[in-house]
Amino acid sequence: MFELDFRSRTPIYEQLVEKFKELIIKKILKPDEQLPSVRVLASQLTVNPNTINKAYHKLEQEGYIYSVPGKGNFVSPDVSGIQSARLKSLKLEFFKIVSEMNYLGLNKEDIMALIKDLELVDKGGPED
Amino acid sequence: MIDVTNVSKSFDDLEALKDIALLVNKGSIYGLVGSNGAGKTTLLKIIAGIYKENEGVVEINSFPVFENTDIKARIVFIPDTPFYFNNYSIENLAVYYQRIYPKWNYNRYLLLKDVFNIDPKRRIKTLSRGMQRQVAFWMGFSIMPEVMILDEPMDGLDPVMRQKVKRLIVQDVAERDMTVIISSHNLRELEDICDHIGILHQGRLLIQQDLDDLKADVHKIQIAFAEGIPSALYGDMQVLHYEEKGSVLTMIIRGSYEDIVQSIDNYHPAIIDVLPLTLEEIFIYEMGENDYEIQNIFN
Repeated sequence: MFELDFRSRTPIYEQLVEKFKELIIKKILKPDEQLPSVRVLASQLTVNPNTINKAYHKLEQEGYIYSVPGKGNFVSPDVSGIQSARLKSLKLEFFKIVSEMNYLGLNKEDIMALIKDLELVDKGGPED
Repeated sequence: MIDVTNVSKSFDDLEALKDIALLVNKGSIYGLVGSNGAGKTTLLKIIAGIYKENEGVVEINSFPVFENTDIKARIVFIPDTPFYFNNYSIENLAVYYQRIYPKWNYNRYLLLKDVFNIDPKRRIKTLSRGMQRQVAFWMGFSIMPEVMILDEPMDGLDPVMRQKVKRLIVQDVAERDMTVIISSHNLRELEDICDHIGILHQGRLLIQQDLDDLKADVHKIQIAFAEGIPSALYGDMQVLHYEEKGSVLTMIIRGSYEDIVQSIDNYHPAIIDVLPLTLEEIFIYEMGENDYEIQNIFN
Protein backbone atom coordinates (compact mmCIF):
# COMPACT_ATOMS: atom_id res chain seq x y z
CA MET A 1 0.00 0.00 0.00
CA PHE A 2 2.80 2.38 0.89
CA GLU A 3 6.37 2.46 2.11
CA LEU A 4 7.63 3.81 5.39
CA ASP A 5 10.99 5.44 5.77
CA PHE A 6 12.65 3.63 8.65
CA ARG A 7 15.72 5.81 8.34
CA SER A 8 13.77 9.00 8.83
CA ARG A 9 13.83 10.88 12.12
CA THR A 10 10.06 11.28 11.97
CA PRO A 11 8.39 8.76 14.27
CA ILE A 12 6.72 5.88 12.46
CA TYR A 13 3.24 6.62 13.77
CA GLU A 14 3.49 10.20 12.48
CA GLN A 15 4.57 8.90 9.09
CA LEU A 16 1.57 6.57 9.08
CA VAL A 17 -0.80 9.42 9.99
CA GLU A 18 0.60 11.62 7.23
CA LYS A 19 0.39 8.89 4.58
CA PHE A 20 -3.20 8.08 5.46
CA LYS A 21 -4.19 11.76 5.45
CA GLU A 22 -2.69 12.11 2.01
CA LEU A 23 -4.54 9.04 0.72
CA ILE A 24 -7.81 10.30 2.20
CA ILE A 25 -7.49 13.90 1.01
CA LYS A 26 -6.56 12.77 -2.50
CA LYS A 27 -9.56 10.41 -2.41
CA ILE A 28 -7.46 7.35 -3.11
CA LEU A 29 -9.16 6.00 -0.02
CA LYS A 30 -12.85 6.70 -0.67
CA PRO A 31 -15.37 7.84 1.95
CA ASP A 32 -16.62 4.87 4.02
CA GLU A 33 -13.92 2.63 2.62
CA GLN A 34 -12.49 0.23 5.18
CA LEU A 35 -8.88 0.67 6.27
CA PRO A 36 -6.64 -2.40 6.55
CA SER A 37 -6.86 -4.06 9.96
CA VAL A 38 -4.14 -3.44 12.50
CA ARG A 39 -2.97 -7.05 12.23
CA VAL A 40 -2.70 -7.02 8.46
CA LEU A 41 -0.93 -3.69 8.30
CA ALA A 42 1.44 -4.62 11.14
CA SER A 43 2.68 -7.74 9.41
CA GLN A 44 2.74 -6.12 5.98
CA LEU A 45 4.91 -3.24 7.13
CA THR A 46 6.70 -5.06 9.99
CA VAL A 47 5.57 -2.38 12.37
CA ASN A 48 4.55 -2.77 15.99
CA PRO A 49 0.73 -3.18 16.12
CA ASN A 50 0.58 -0.66 18.98
CA THR A 51 2.14 1.94 16.69
CA ILE A 52 -0.58 1.34 14.11
CA ASN A 53 -3.28 1.53 16.78
CA LYS A 54 -1.83 4.84 17.86
CA ALA A 55 -1.87 6.20 14.31
CA TYR A 56 -5.51 5.09 13.85
CA HIS A 57 -6.46 6.75 17.14
CA LYS A 58 -4.87 9.99 16.03
CA LEU A 59 -6.66 9.85 12.66
CA GLU A 60 -9.93 9.21 14.46
CA GLN A 61 -9.35 12.09 16.85
CA GLU A 62 -8.72 14.40 13.94
CA GLY A 63 -11.84 13.20 12.16
CA TYR A 64 -10.27 11.52 9.14
CA ILE A 65 -11.60 8.09 10.02
CA TYR A 66 -14.27 6.58 12.23
CA SER A 67 -14.27 3.19 13.92
CA VAL A 68 -17.07 0.67 14.17
CA PRO A 69 -16.56 -1.62 17.17
CA GLY A 70 -15.97 -5.17 16.02
CA LYS A 71 -15.75 -4.18 12.36
CA GLY A 72 -12.76 -1.92 11.96
CA ASN A 73 -11.85 1.55 10.82
CA PHE A 74 -13.43 3.45 7.94
CA VAL A 75 -12.75 6.68 6.07
CA SER A 76 -14.99 9.54 7.23
CA PRO A 77 -17.75 10.39 4.74
CA ASP A 78 -17.25 14.12 5.17
CA VAL A 79 -13.81 15.62 5.39
CA SER A 80 -14.83 19.26 4.91
CA GLY A 81 -14.58 19.89 8.66
CA ILE A 82 -11.02 18.63 8.52
CA GLN A 83 -10.19 20.88 5.62
CA SER A 84 -11.01 23.91 7.75
CA ALA A 85 -8.74 22.60 10.50
CA ARG A 86 -6.00 22.06 7.97
CA LEU A 87 -6.53 25.57 6.62
CA LYS A 88 -6.13 26.93 10.13
CA SER A 89 -2.76 25.24 10.56
CA LEU A 90 -1.67 26.33 7.08
CA LYS A 91 -2.56 29.92 7.94
CA LEU A 92 -0.37 29.64 11.01
CA GLU A 93 2.53 28.35 8.91
CA PHE A 94 1.93 31.08 6.34
CA PHE A 95 2.06 33.66 9.09
CA LYS A 96 5.37 32.25 10.30
CA ILE A 97 6.90 32.34 6.84
CA VAL A 98 5.69 35.86 6.16
CA SER A 99 7.04 37.14 9.47
CA GLU A 100 10.39 35.53 8.76
CA MET A 101 10.49 37.14 5.31
CA ASN A 102 9.62 40.43 6.96
CA TYR A 103 12.39 39.93 9.50
CA LEU A 104 14.86 39.17 6.72
CA GLY A 105 14.09 42.47 5.03
CA LEU A 106 11.09 42.11 2.72
CA ASN A 107 8.44 44.76 3.25
CA LYS A 108 4.69 44.48 2.80
CA GLU A 109 4.79 45.45 -0.89
CA ASP A 110 7.49 42.86 -1.70
CA ILE A 111 5.44 40.12 -0.11
CA MET A 112 2.23 41.24 -1.81
CA ALA A 113 4.06 41.24 -5.13
CA LEU A 114 5.19 37.66 -4.49
CA ILE A 115 1.61 36.59 -3.85
CA LYS A 116 0.40 38.35 -7.02
CA ASP A 117 3.05 36.49 -9.00
CA LEU A 118 1.46 33.22 -7.99
CA GLU A 119 -1.54 33.94 -10.25
CA LEU A 120 -4.02 32.48 -7.81
CA VAL A 121 -7.24 30.99 -9.13
CA ASP A 122 -10.20 33.05 -8.02
CA LYS A 123 -12.37 30.40 -6.46
CA GLY A 124 -9.47 28.63 -4.70
CA GLY A 125 -7.88 25.32 -5.62
CA PRO A 126 -6.25 24.76 -9.00
CA GLU A 127 -8.55 23.46 -11.72
CA ASP A 128 -7.86 19.98 -12.98
CA MET B 1 2.34 -9.06 31.15
CA ILE B 2 5.69 -8.69 32.87
CA ASP B 3 5.69 -6.91 36.21
CA VAL B 4 8.98 -6.25 37.98
CA THR B 5 8.80 -4.43 41.33
CA ASN B 6 11.80 -3.08 43.23
CA VAL B 7 14.13 -5.87 42.23
CA SER B 8 17.73 -5.93 43.40
CA LYS B 9 20.35 -8.55 42.69
CA SER B 10 23.94 -8.95 43.87
CA PHE B 11 26.65 -11.43 43.01
CA ASP B 12 28.97 -11.60 46.05
CA ASP B 13 29.95 -7.98 46.54
CA LEU B 14 28.93 -6.86 43.04
CA GLU B 15 25.61 -5.07 43.05
CA ALA B 16 24.24 -5.91 39.59
CA LEU B 17 20.74 -4.46 39.85
CA LYS B 18 19.39 -1.83 42.21
CA ASP B 19 15.72 -1.29 42.82
CA ILE B 20 14.42 -1.99 39.32
CA ALA B 21 10.73 -1.41 38.58
CA LEU B 22 9.48 -2.21 35.13
CA LEU B 23 6.15 -3.02 33.53
CA VAL B 24 5.58 -4.54 30.12
CA ASN B 25 1.91 -4.67 29.15
CA LYS B 26 0.39 -7.61 27.32
CA GLY B 27 0.90 -7.24 23.58
CA SER B 28 3.69 -4.72 23.99
CA ILE B 29 7.27 -4.84 22.73
CA TYR B 30 9.73 -3.43 25.26
CA GLY B 31 13.28 -2.56 24.27
CA LEU B 32 15.98 -2.72 26.90
CA VAL B 33 19.15 -0.79 26.13
CA GLY B 34 22.14 0.05 28.24
CA SER B 35 25.87 0.41 28.57
CA ASN B 36 28.07 -2.69 28.69
CA GLY B 37 27.81 -4.33 32.09
CA ALA B 38 24.69 -2.34 32.95
CA GLY B 39 22.84 -5.49 34.03
CA LYS B 40 20.65 -6.18 30.99
CA THR B 41 21.36 -9.91 30.85
CA THR B 42 20.99 -10.26 34.62
CA LEU B 43 17.61 -8.54 34.49
CA LEU B 44 16.42 -10.71 31.61
CA LYS B 45 17.58 -13.87 33.38
CA ILE B 46 15.65 -12.82 36.49
CA ILE B 47 12.53 -12.17 34.41
CA ALA B 48 12.97 -15.59 32.78
CA GLY B 49 13.22 -17.20 36.23
CA ILE B 50 16.79 -18.37 35.79
CA TYR B 51 18.25 -16.21 38.56
CA LYS B 52 16.47 -15.59 41.84
CA GLU B 53 16.20 -11.94 42.80
CA ASN B 54 17.60 -10.92 46.21
CA GLU B 55 14.84 -8.42 46.80
CA GLY B 56 11.61 -7.46 45.10
CA VAL B 57 9.01 -9.33 43.07
CA VAL B 58 9.03 -10.58 39.47
CA GLU B 59 5.70 -11.66 38.04
CA ILE B 60 4.48 -12.81 34.66
CA ASN B 61 0.68 -12.79 34.25
CA SER B 62 0.51 -12.00 37.99
CA PHE B 63 2.41 -15.10 39.12
CA PRO B 64 6.00 -15.30 40.40
CA VAL B 65 8.26 -16.82 37.77
CA PHE B 66 11.01 -18.52 39.74
CA GLU B 67 10.55 -22.33 39.83
CA ASN B 68 7.05 -21.91 38.39
CA THR B 69 6.70 -24.58 35.69
CA ASP B 70 3.23 -23.42 34.71
CA ILE B 71 4.51 -19.94 33.81
CA LYS B 72 7.75 -21.19 32.33
CA ALA B 73 5.79 -23.39 29.93
CA ARG B 74 4.45 -20.21 28.32
CA ILE B 75 7.62 -18.20 28.05
CA VAL B 76 10.59 -18.38 25.78
CA PHE B 77 14.00 -17.09 26.71
CA ILE B 78 16.62 -16.84 24.01
CA PRO B 79 19.96 -16.12 25.68
CA ASP B 80 22.78 -14.21 24.03
CA THR B 81 24.55 -17.54 23.37
CA PRO B 82 22.02 -20.32 22.84
CA PHE B 83 22.88 -23.64 24.47
CA TYR B 84 22.36 -26.98 22.75
CA PHE B 85 22.96 -30.61 23.71
CA ASN B 86 25.83 -32.40 21.99
CA ASN B 87 24.82 -34.57 19.04
CA TYR B 88 21.24 -33.29 18.95
CA SER B 89 19.74 -32.72 15.53
CA ILE B 90 16.97 -30.16 15.02
CA GLU B 91 14.46 -33.04 14.85
CA ASN B 92 15.72 -34.42 18.18
CA LEU B 93 15.38 -31.01 19.73
CA ALA B 94 11.83 -30.65 18.40
CA VAL B 95 10.88 -33.94 20.09
CA TYR B 96 12.49 -32.73 23.31
CA TYR B 97 10.55 -29.43 23.19
CA GLN B 98 7.33 -31.28 22.41
CA ARG B 99 7.68 -33.29 25.63
CA ILE B 100 8.38 -30.22 27.74
CA TYR B 101 6.07 -27.54 26.36
CA PRO B 102 2.34 -28.44 26.51
CA LYS B 103 1.41 -25.85 23.85
CA TRP B 104 3.93 -27.18 21.31
CA ASN B 105 2.48 -26.68 17.86
CA TYR B 106 3.77 -29.26 15.37
CA ASN B 107 2.08 -27.59 12.38
CA ARG B 108 3.79 -24.37 13.17
CA TYR B 109 7.11 -26.18 13.47
CA LEU B 110 6.60 -27.54 9.96
CA LEU B 111 5.53 -24.17 8.57
CA LEU B 112 8.56 -22.48 10.07
CA LYS B 113 10.79 -24.97 8.32
CA ASP B 114 10.11 -23.00 5.14
CA VAL B 115 11.08 -19.75 6.84
CA PHE B 116 14.39 -20.91 8.25
CA ASN B 117 15.15 -23.40 5.52
CA ILE B 118 17.60 -25.59 7.44
CA ASP B 119 17.60 -29.38 7.06
CA PRO B 120 16.08 -30.67 10.35
CA LYS B 121 18.33 -33.72 10.20
CA ARG B 122 21.45 -31.63 10.73
CA ARG B 123 23.24 -31.72 14.05
CA ILE B 124 22.86 -28.32 15.70
CA LYS B 125 26.46 -28.10 16.89
CA THR B 126 27.65 -28.32 13.27
CA LEU B 127 25.58 -25.25 12.28
CA SER B 128 26.97 -21.75 12.06
CA ARG B 129 26.38 -19.26 14.86
CA GLY B 130 23.65 -17.44 12.96
CA MET B 131 21.93 -20.71 12.05
CA GLN B 132 22.04 -21.86 15.67
CA ARG B 133 20.24 -18.67 16.58
CA GLN B 134 17.65 -19.36 13.90
CA VAL B 135 17.05 -22.75 15.50
CA ALA B 136 16.43 -20.99 18.83
CA PHE B 137 13.75 -18.83 17.18
CA TRP B 138 12.32 -21.82 15.33
CA MET B 139 11.79 -23.71 18.59
CA GLY B 140 10.71 -20.55 20.40
CA PHE B 141 7.91 -19.70 18.00
CA SER B 142 6.77 -23.35 17.87
CA ILE B 143 5.80 -23.44 21.54
CA MET B 144 3.21 -20.67 21.01
CA PRO B 145 4.74 -18.45 23.69
CA GLU B 146 2.80 -15.80 25.58
CA VAL B 147 6.00 -14.02 26.53
CA MET B 148 9.29 -13.80 24.66
CA ILE B 149 12.46 -12.71 26.43
CA LEU B 150 15.23 -12.01 23.96
CA ASP B 151 18.83 -11.16 24.81
CA GLU B 152 20.65 -9.63 21.82
CA PRO B 153 18.50 -11.78 19.53
CA MET B 154 19.58 -10.46 16.14
CA ASP B 155 23.29 -11.05 16.74
CA GLY B 156 24.75 -13.08 13.90
CA LEU B 157 21.61 -13.06 11.76
CA ASP B 158 21.90 -11.83 8.19
CA PRO B 159 19.75 -8.84 7.09
CA VAL B 160 17.13 -10.97 5.35
CA MET B 161 16.77 -13.26 8.35
CA ARG B 162 16.54 -10.25 10.70
CA GLN B 163 13.62 -8.95 8.71
CA LYS B 164 11.95 -12.38 8.69
CA VAL B 165 12.37 -12.79 12.45
CA LYS B 166 11.09 -9.28 13.11
CA ARG B 167 8.05 -10.01 10.99
CA LEU B 168 7.38 -13.25 12.91
CA ILE B 169 7.59 -11.33 16.20
CA VAL B 170 5.27 -8.56 14.99
CA GLN B 171 2.76 -11.12 13.67
CA ASP B 172 2.62 -12.96 16.97
CA VAL B 173 2.17 -9.69 18.81
CA ALA B 174 -0.61 -8.62 16.45
CA GLU B 175 -2.44 -11.92 16.32
CA ARG B 176 -1.88 -13.52 19.72
CA ASP B 177 -1.08 -10.50 21.88
CA MET B 178 2.35 -11.90 22.68
CA THR B 179 4.46 -9.82 25.07
CA VAL B 180 8.10 -9.22 24.18
CA ILE B 181 11.09 -7.82 26.03
CA ILE B 182 14.20 -7.49 23.92
CA SER B 183 17.69 -6.22 24.66
CA SER B 184 19.98 -4.94 21.96
CA HIS B 185 22.75 -2.52 21.16
CA ASN B 186 21.34 -2.04 17.72
CA LEU B 187 19.18 0.95 18.55
CA ARG B 188 18.06 1.46 14.96
CA GLU B 189 16.52 -1.95 14.99
CA LEU B 190 14.79 -1.48 18.35
CA GLU B 191 13.38 1.80 17.14
CA ASP B 192 11.50 -0.03 14.38
CA ILE B 193 9.61 -2.52 16.47
CA CYS B 194 9.51 -1.40 20.11
CA ASP B 195 6.78 0.73 21.68
CA HIS B 196 8.50 1.18 25.04
CA ILE B 197 12.14 1.73 25.87
CA GLY B 198 14.07 1.34 29.11
CA ILE B 199 17.62 2.61 29.51
CA LEU B 200 19.73 0.71 32.03
CA HIS B 201 23.00 2.07 33.42
CA GLN B 202 25.07 0.68 36.27
CA GLY B 203 22.23 -1.46 37.54
CA ARG B 204 19.60 1.28 37.55
CA LEU B 205 16.85 2.16 35.12
CA LEU B 206 17.55 5.74 34.05
CA ILE B 207 14.55 6.18 31.81
CA GLN B 208 11.53 4.15 30.93
CA GLN B 209 9.00 5.58 28.55
CA ASP B 210 6.79 5.20 25.55
CA LEU B 211 9.19 5.50 22.61
CA ASP B 212 7.19 8.16 20.76
CA ASP B 213 6.76 10.22 23.94
CA LEU B 214 10.47 9.89 24.59
CA LYS B 215 11.19 11.21 21.13
CA ALA B 216 8.64 14.00 21.44
CA ASP B 217 10.33 15.04 24.65
CA VAL B 218 13.86 15.65 23.36
CA HIS B 219 14.79 17.73 20.33
CA LYS B 220 17.84 18.61 18.37
CA ILE B 221 17.94 22.25 17.44
CA GLN B 222 20.18 24.10 15.07
CA ILE B 223 20.04 27.86 15.28
CA ALA B 224 22.05 30.72 13.91
CA PHE B 225 22.04 34.34 14.99
CA ALA B 226 22.92 37.36 12.91
CA GLU B 227 24.65 39.12 15.79
CA GLY B 228 26.29 36.57 18.05
CA ILE B 229 24.63 34.16 20.43
CA PRO B 230 22.61 35.90 23.15
CA SER B 231 24.01 34.92 26.53
CA ALA B 232 20.60 34.62 28.21
CA LEU B 233 19.53 31.96 25.72
CA TYR B 234 20.37 28.86 27.77
CA GLY B 235 18.59 30.06 30.91
CA ASP B 236 15.05 29.29 29.77
CA MET B 237 15.58 25.72 28.64
CA GLN B 238 16.74 22.34 29.82
CA VAL B 239 19.81 21.89 27.68
CA LEU B 240 21.36 18.40 27.61
CA HIS B 241 24.12 19.26 25.24
CA TYR B 242 25.31 22.17 23.16
CA GLU B 243 27.96 22.82 20.60
CA GLU B 244 28.97 26.13 19.07
CA LYS B 245 30.48 26.28 15.64
CA GLY B 246 30.98 29.87 14.57
CA SER B 247 27.57 31.49 14.68
CA VAL B 248 25.72 28.18 14.42
CA LEU B 249 24.58 26.57 17.63
CA THR B 250 23.51 22.94 17.93
CA MET B 251 21.61 22.05 21.07
CA ILE B 252 19.86 19.04 22.50
CA ILE B 253 16.97 20.28 24.57
CA ARG B 254 14.40 18.49 26.68
CA GLY B 255 10.90 19.88 26.34
CA SER B 256 7.99 20.00 23.94
CA TYR B 257 8.44 21.30 20.41
CA GLU B 258 6.13 24.29 20.94
CA ASP B 259 7.80 25.44 24.18
CA ILE B 260 11.26 25.24 22.69
CA VAL B 261 10.38 27.15 19.55
CA GLN B 262 8.57 29.79 21.57
CA SER B 263 11.44 30.44 23.98
CA ILE B 264 13.98 30.57 21.16
CA ASP B 265 11.80 32.83 19.03
CA ASN B 266 12.13 35.52 21.69
CA TYR B 267 15.76 35.93 20.68
CA HIS B 268 14.97 36.29 16.98
CA PRO B 269 17.27 33.70 15.45
CA ALA B 270 18.13 34.06 11.78
CA ILE B 271 17.68 30.35 11.18
CA ILE B 272 16.00 27.75 13.33
CA ASP B 273 15.75 24.05 12.60
CA VAL B 274 14.15 21.56 14.97
CA LEU B 275 14.71 17.86 14.38
CA PRO B 276 13.34 14.86 16.28
CA LEU B 277 16.13 12.77 17.77
CA THR B 278 16.98 9.22 16.89
CA LEU B 279 17.01 6.69 19.70
CA GLU B 280 20.77 6.47 19.34
CA GLU B 281 21.15 10.19 19.97
CA ILE B 282 18.79 10.08 22.94
CA PHE B 283 20.83 7.21 24.38
CA ILE B 284 24.14 9.00 23.95
CA TYR B 285 22.97 12.29 25.44
CA GLU B 286 21.13 10.72 28.34
CA MET B 287 24.24 8.71 29.12
CA GLY B 288 26.30 11.89 28.86
CA GLU B 289 24.15 13.39 31.58
CA ASN B 290 25.11 10.41 33.70
CA ASP B 291 28.86 10.75 33.23
CA TYR B 292 29.14 8.17 30.49
CA GLU B 293 30.31 10.32 27.66
CA ILE B 294 32.11 10.05 24.40
CA GLN B 295 35.21 12.13 24.84
CA ASN B 296 37.89 13.04 22.42
CA ILE B 297 40.86 11.06 23.65
CA PHE B 298 43.38 11.69 20.92
CA ASN B 299 43.76 15.39 20.69
